[in-house]
Amino acid sequence: MLKASRSKGPWVQEWATVVSHDGQGDVYKLVLRAPEVARRAVAGQFVEVRCTAGRSLVVDPLLRRPFSICYVSGDTVCVIYRVVGRGTALLSSVGVGCEVDVMGPLGHSFPDPAVGTGRLVLVGGGLGIPPMVMAASRAVSVGRSVVAVVGARSAAYLAGLEELRATGVDVVVVTDDGSAGARGVVTGPLAAALADGAGEVWACGPEGMLQAVKELCAGAGVPCFVSVERHMACGFGACIGCTVPRADGPGYLKACQDGPVFAAEEVKLGGA
Amino acid sequence: MALDFDLSTELCGIRFKNPVWTASGCFGYGREFAPVMALRDLGAVVVKGTSAEPWAGNPGTRVTETPGGMLNAIGLQNPGVDHFLRVDWPWLQEQGATVIVNIVGKTVDEYVEVARRLEGSGVAALELNISCPNVKEGGLAFGTSLAGAAAVTAAVRKATSLPLLVKLSPNVTSIVDVAKAVEDAGADGVTVINTLLGMSIDVRRRKPVLGNTFGGLSGPAVKPVALRMVWQVAGAVKIPVVGIGGIMTGEDAVEFLMAGARAVQVGTACFVNPRAPLDVAEGIGAFMRETGVGRVAELVGAARPEGGLGAGTGSAVGAAGRGAPAPAAPGAPAPAAPGAKPPAPKKAVGPMADYLRDFLKDSDRF
Repeated sequence: MLKASRSKGPWVQEWATVVSHDGQGDVYKLVLRAPEVARRAVAGQFVEVRCTAGRSLVVDPLLRRPFSICYVSGDTVCVIYRVVGRGTALLSSVGVGCEVDVMGPLGHSFPDPAVGTGRLVLVGGGLGIPPMVMAASRAVSVGRSVVAVVGARSAAYLAGLEELRATGVDVVVVTDDGSAGARGVVTGPLAAALADGAGEVWACGPEGMLQAVKELCAGAGVPCFVSVERHMACGFGACIGCTVPRADGPGYLKACQDGPVFAAEEVKLGGA
Repeated sequence: MALDFDLSTELCGIRFKNPVWTASGCFGYGREFAPVMALRDLGAVVVKGTSAEPWAGNPGTRVTETPGGMLNAIGLQNPGVDHFLRVDWPWLQEQGATVIVNIVGKTVDEYVEVARRLEGSGVAALELNISCPNVKEGGLAFGTSLAGAAAVTAAVRKATSLPLLVKLSPNVTSIVDVAKAVEDAGADGVTVINTLLGMSIDVRRRKPVLGNTFGGLSGPAVKPVALRMVWQVAGAVKIPVVGIGGIMTGEDAVEFLMAGARAVQVGTACFVNPRAPLDVAEGIGAFMRETGVGRVAELVGAARPEGGLGAGTGSAVGAAGRGAPAPAAPGAPAPAAPGAKPPAPKKAVGPMADYLRDFLKDSDRF
């Protein structure tokens, strides 16, 4: 089994300027000029963003929101998010040129693609697609063969699909309703890719999907890394709120600090 | 950090660099914060609730945001006192931090065991946690009965020579009665308050959000309740009170000091702004500069009708209480003359005004 290490460097808090902020339906793409975060970020890491612009102290909504990094370009960092509550609704109204309080890059990245061998299969479900963009760029940059399998309930929720295609990797699309790509879920194309001979799988998406991906990979004997999502208060390891049960016995790992990317065999997915 | 005032505060026979401590459970053992601050600049680091043996904590969702605050149901996950002594305490000493250990147990014997193992270690003080709402045994079970609170306080008092603070639960009929009970049982101070018991429901899933169903509410939402309780307790006991609950800014902290707290703890704010405790300390300094106050002790109890705790309850503020001008710290402007009115508040600008503007601007969204 591949035991590639995931990197984790120091994080910073910085005032980022909104370079662009575009919404389609309830899915938004936010590009921030955040040079210090951009310089440090590795694929799979995330940022914690305050949902209100400016340096005034807003106490409601109180907590930052964690978003995986979609890509880094020069001194800018892109995240793609969906409006799901008060915080993201407020964030979606923040305009170009505004200052936003950002912390990052946080957590452990995906492994170094130069270490693994064989074809790398990236699996993204819904809002789990955006982190696969940076993962794809990084893998392509070291000459790794990559295919991405992405799925969502409909075409409108294929967040980051265009950005993923722009990296030049092969992309297989499925949707629940058939509004883009084939009708179906990601495990279909993933099983085909595994049968074809895959070297490694990286996945991000709903936890049920991650569990299914983990099982398929285990059955095929292919190393699998999963990026999990949790409610977080801090994002840097202090609150111990974002725990994921250890697979190897009692106790928990922290999604923010030990993850969000874990070797699939390290964690119990899909439950308490 | 430029602090040109005497921000030091004294309680339980210890002089703290400033009155701002980190709150237990919001600062881990300090390591996560080292990238953004020097821990020695804090008044004290109150570490995560620590038990005799490692505790795994609660399953399921542990944190969720609520209006102006958050709920947590961590369940006191911690690596145990031996791990603390072997791994965290040496590191904290290297940082030059003043450390207070928050101790937890499921039985009186377990509390006593943790206290014994910390005896002679060199930590500054113990904070007895009898108020965690998220563990079934221990914790809150002791904090909500006068006899339980007194029994565990007395037992730990016997087991330690360290200054002993007791962190009180707000989830009681009379926090004043519990404060008096632990004072009588030998506590050197009380920390007021722990979190308020609350819950949140995910209406789409038709289930409580937290795996533990209930959790502890913290953050700015609890501040008025906490402040009221600090006021009540400070007026009823002679031992010092450490105020905690929703402090985000220096002026929030000054409110707690003026209610009678000798020091404050900053908790939930650390999750949003890791530098919050230092920002709060700087904010207290800025307030002192602005209002001509030379020493923190002059603020303690300053809003109380009896005119400050120095004159009121006989606690150790002494001549530094309000009405007796303290000698100015080097470089500090002269303190205001006794009876002089503080400068008029400035025009309503700042965080709340900005917030209201933003809120009104976006109000059609809600």
